[in-house]
Amino acid sequence: MQIRVAFFLVFLLLGVSPTVWAKKESTTKAVQPRQLSLLRVNVTGQGYDYFRPWQKRAPFSKRALGAVLSQGRVLVTADLVANQNYVELERAESGEKMAASVEVVDYEANLALLQPQDKKFLDGLSPLELASDTAVGDRVAALQLEQTGALVVTDGLVTAVQVMHYPVEVGQFLTYRLSIALQYRDNSYTVPLVKNNKLAGLLLRYDPRSQLMDAIPAPVIAHFLKDAAKPNYSGFPTVGFDYFPTRDPQLRKYAGETGNGGGVYVTDIEPGTPVEKAGLQEGDIITAIGNFDLDQNGNYVDPIYKKLDFTNLLTTRVYSGDKVPLKIHRQGKPMQLDVTMEHRTPDEYVISPYSRDEAPKYYILGGLIFQELTRQYLREWGPNWLKEAPQRFVYLDRFQWELFPEGHRRVVILSQILPVNGTIGYEDFGYLTVTKVNGKDVHSLNDLAEAVKHPIDGFDRIETEEDPKVIPLDVAQAQADEPTLRENYGISALQRLK
Amino acid sequence: MKRLLVGIILLFASAELFAQQNTPPLQQQDATPPVAPQQNTPPLPPPPDEGAPPLRPTATPPPVAPIVVAAPKQPNGKIQKSLVRITSTEVEPDYRAPWNTGAIGRGVGAGFVIDGPRIMTNAHVVSNTRYLTVEREGDPNKYPARVLFVAHDCDLALITVDSPEFFKNMVPLGLGGIPELESTVSAYGYPIGGERMSVTTGIVSRIDFQLYTHSSIDSHLAIQISAQINPGNSGGPVMQNGKVVGVAFQGYSGDIAQGVAYMIPTPVIRRFLTDIKDNRYDKYVDLGLTYSKLQNPAQRRYLGLPDDGRGVMVDTVIEAGPAGKALKQGDVLLSIDDHAIASDAFVELEGERVEMPEVVERKFKGDKVKFEILRDRKPMTLRIELNTVWPYQMQAHHYDTRPRYVVYGGLIFQPLSLDLLDAYQTGDPRVRHYFDYFILEQIYLQHPDVIVLTNILPDPTNTYLAAYRSSIVDEVNGKKMTTLNDLAQAFAEAPDRFVIKMIGGGPPLVLDRKEVESARERIRTRYNVIAEQNLNEQPVSAQVSAKSEEPHS
Repeated sequence: MQIRVAFFLVFLLLGVSPTVWAKKESTTKAVQPRQLSLLRVNVTGQGYDYFRPWQKRAPFSKRALGAVLSQGRVLVTADLVANQNYVELERAESGEKMAASVEVVDYEANLALLQPQDKKFLDGLSPLELASDTAVGDRVAALQLEQTGALVVTDGLVTAVQVMHYPVEVGQFLTYRLSIALQYRDNSYTVPLVKNNKLAGLLLRYDPRSQLMDAIPAPVIAHFLKDAAKPNYSGFPTVGFDYFPTRDPQLRKYAGETGNGGGVYVTDIEPGTPVEKAGLQEGDIITAIGNFDLDQNGNYVDPIYKKLDFTNLLTTRVYSGDKVPLKIHRQGKPMQLDVTMEHRTPDEYVISPYSRDEAPKYYILGGLIFQELTRQYLREWGPNWLKEAPQRFVYLDRFQWELFPEGHRRVVILSQILPVNGTIGYEDFGYLTVTKVNGKDVHSLNDLAEAVKHPIDGFDRIETEEDPKVIPLDVAQAQADEPTLRENYGISALQRLK
Repeated sequence: MKRLLVGIILLFASAELFAQQNTPPLQQQDATPPVAPQQNTPPLPPPPDEGAPPLRPTATPPPVAPIVVAAPKQPNGKIQKSLVRITSTEVEPDYRAPWNTGAIGRGVGAGFVIDGPRIMTNAHVVSNTRYLTVEREGDPNKYPARVLFVAHDCDLALITVDSPEFFKNMVPLGLGGIPELESTVSAYGYPIGGERMSVTTGIVSRIDFQLYTHSSIDSHLAIQISAQINPGNSGGPVMQNGKVVGVAFQGYSGDIAQGVAYMIPTPVIRRFLTDIKDNRYDKYVDLGLTYSKLQNPAQRRYLGLPDDGRGVMVDTVIEAGPAGKALKQGDVLLSIDDHAIASDAFVELEGERVEMPEVVERKFKGDKVKFEILRDRKPMTLRIELNTVWPYQMQAHHYDTRPRYVVYGGLIFQPLSLDLLDAYQTGDPRVRHYFDYFILEQIYLQHPDVIVLTNILPDPTNTYLAAYRSSIVDEVNGKKMTTLNDLAQAFAEAPDRFVIKMIGGGPPLVLDRKEVESARERIRTRYNVIAEQNLNEQPVSAQVSAKSEEPHS
C-alpha cells in the first residue's frame, strides 16, 4: 500500500542525428570542465530468450560514455552492461580502442565498474572525484561527446531530490530530478553529470517531452564505490517491508498512539529480511531510525535534502553489516530494535525480481517446457507486462510473500508445449503452475528433474494447480520424441539446471 | 467458460450508437425533415470508404441470384404483418453512484408476433427499459408495451401490448427448425434506425456454440449467417420458407473478421418458450464443472481407457453446482443420457454431432441427467439433478436490477461483479484475481460477496483513508464478512469503533462510530446520497416481471 511515484520516463537510448545543433549553454559558474574525463564505451550483448530458453536472442550493440575514476576504473550504468558479451573502451579524441572487463556490477543501484585490460589506456584522462553535496536548486552540467570527440555540455537544474525505484524495481534509492534540455546523440547511454568538475551523478532516465531527467546521485555512487572496494561486493541493504502513514487519527488511536508524534505503521514484512530477523512486527510504529525522527508520512529531515523518505536511511546511508537502531512503538509502548542490515540477492526471492547475465533454467520433457517463474519471464510480455502477461503469474509475483511465506522455494511452471507425437491433445495447455510430479512436491526445477527419475508404471504424472490438474506423460514416448524435438525446434540441450 | 470479448457488438441501435456510427440517413432526416420529399431513398450515398460495403442495397451474390429470381417474390409471405419496431427508453445502473439512476438512453430494435399473442425480441432490446413502445407497418400509432419474460442468459424476451387493436390483422409467425448449411435465409428488421422494414438475405454459414455477449458468460448454439445485419436488426426474425429459423442478435466486426452475423436458432427459442410455460423463467441449468478432452494416447492408457475415442476427464467441479457432490476431479465421463461422449467432447444427438453441453442445454431446472463414468478405473452410473450455478452470476452482466451497495461514513462498499469492474476499470491485482478465480479457486465459498471498498466520498472524517480504496473487506470487529448483508448488519450495531480488516494485511481501517454518525447527514446531503444502502438486487420497475430474475444468493 505504499504510495508509488509513477512518473513515466523513458530511457535515453541511441541517438539518431549527430548533427543536432548544440544549443549555446547559459553561462553558469564553474560547471565547464577543463579536462576530459570521459571515454566511449562500446558494448555488445545478447539477452536470453525466455520463450525459447535454450537459446539467446540476436546480439545488440550499445554505444555509451564512461566516467573515468581514479585507480583506472571507469563508471557506467549497469543497464549498459547487462547481458554483455564484449565490452570495449574507446578514447574519444584518438579513436583508440581496448577491451575491458566488468569488475563490479549492481543492477539494483544500476551501477557498474569497468577496467581496461591495461590501465595505461586511461593515461591522459583526468579522473573525476565525487561531488556529494548537490542539493535542490544547484546547477549541474551533463556531459556528452560530439562525433568528433568534442565535449558537449548541457546545463541543468536540480529540482527535487527523492527516493525512487530504479529500473529493476528492487529497493528504492536516492534520486536527483533535473530539469534539463538534453539532446539525443550518439553515446547517450551513460551521461555523467558534473558540478565544479566533480561527478555529481549519472543519467538514470530522461523524458524528452517534459525535459525531466532522473539521475543516480553521487551519494549512491559513493556507496557503490565503497562497497566495491571490499573483496566481496555485498550490495545495498534490503528494506523488506511496507508501511502506512499514521496521519489518520482513528488509526493512531487504534494503534495506541497518543499525542501527535510521528512514525509509520509497519505492514507486509517480507520473511527473511533484516527487519524480520530483528523482530519487527506488523502493526509496529517506527518512530525513529538512528538519530532521525520520522514524521507521520514517513519522512525524516535530512541534513542536505531536508524532508526525505525514510527509506534512504535504510538503503543509501547504511551498508550491509551495519547495525541500525529502530525506535518503535508496539501497542503504544516504546521499544528499540537493532537491525543488522543485509542485502537480499535475487536468488533469495521465491520469484526472482530480475535476472541478468544468467541463463534461464528450463527442463524439457517430451515437448513440455518447464521453467521457474521469474519476473524476467513476465517482463517478456513487454512494458505492459502487468496487464498482458498471464494474470495468474502476475498475481503470484505480486503477492509472493503472502502466498509463500515459508520462502526457500521456486514456482515451477509449465510454460508451453511443443507439439510432438507424445503431446497430441495437449497442445492447448500452457501457463500452468506445477504442484507435484510423480507424487512429489515440486518447489524447484531441480525437484522436478529429480522427480521425473521415478516414474510410476511407465508414466510421469504432472499435477498442476489449474485445469487439467493432471497431465500424464508416457516415459518411453517422451524419450522417443527427443530426437524430433531437438531437430524440429532447434533445441541444443533439453535442460539447463545449473 | 472461455470469455472472448473481442469487440462483439449487440445489434441494438441505441441513440448513442447512431451518434458514433455517423449514419447519414437518420441524421439527414433529423436535421432537415421538410427538404427531402421521398424520405425512403437516402439522398446522399454513404461515404465510399467506410460506409459503402455494409450499406450496399443489392446484397445478393451472383451465384445465388438465379435461384432467388426463380423463387416467388416473397417466399416468406408478407412479413410486414408480423414485424414490429420496438423503441425502448432505458436507464442504465450507475455503479459509481449506485444510489442514482444512470444514463437514460433510447434504442430501436425489432420484434415479431408469435402466438399468444406475444412479441418476441432480444433481451438486450428491452433490458433496463423504463418505457417501451411498439409500432407496426401501416399504422401511425405507437403502442405502449410491457415485458412479459426476459431471459438474459440467452438474450431473448417476450413482450406484449395491452391495447386490443394492436394484434388485429397481425399474423403470428411459426417456428421452423435448424436451417441447413448453405441454405438461403432472409433477415428482417430496422437496421441503423430506419422507419421502414429492411430485408437482407444470405446463407447459413456455420452452426456452432457461441458466446452470447449480452450476459457475456453464457454460450449456446448460434448460427452464423452471411446476411447483412446491423444495429436495429436485433430481435428481428430470420426466415426460411415462411418459418422463423432464428432471431438476429449479435455480430462481429474487428481485426480478425468483418461483418460476421449471428442469429439465435430455434432450439434456444423453443427452450425459452417451454421454460416460461409455468409462468416463470428458470434460466439455463448447468452442471458446474470443467473438463478436458482425452485425445492423448498416453493419457488414455494412464486412465485405463481403451483406444476407442471415448470419454472426457473432469478437471474442476464447482462445489456450489449440481455436480458438486456427485463428480470428482479425474472422473472420466463416458456417456451422458446414454449418448456416448467422444474424446473431443462431442456427442451424437438426433444424427448431429454436437458438443456435450448441448445435452444439458436442452434440459430444465430439476431435470436429471444420467452419466456413465469411470472413477479410479471402475465404472459407475450417476444421476445429477440440474440447477443453475449461482457463482457464475458474479462474472455476468446484470440487467433490470439495482446495484447493491452500502455507504457508511462516506465509504462505498460494493460486491465485486463484472459490471463493477467495468465501471471502475480497476487494475488492482488482488481485486482482479478475486474476480478471475472466483469460481475456479472456489473463492465464493468463503466470500459469496467479495466486498470491495470501491470509493470514498471525501469528508473530514475519512480524509486520510484514500489508501484503502480497492481493498477487499475481510472482518469487522473480528467477525468475518461474507456478504454485503453481514456488513450492513455490522454497521447497524453500536460499538465505540469499527475495526475493518482488509484481506492481505495492511493496517485495519478504523472508524470511530460517533464521528461517523455525526458526519452521516453531512455526507448524505453533500453528495446527494438518496439511500445509504441497497441490499437486494430487486427488479427496478414493475415493467419487468419479478418472475424472470431472482436474487442469486
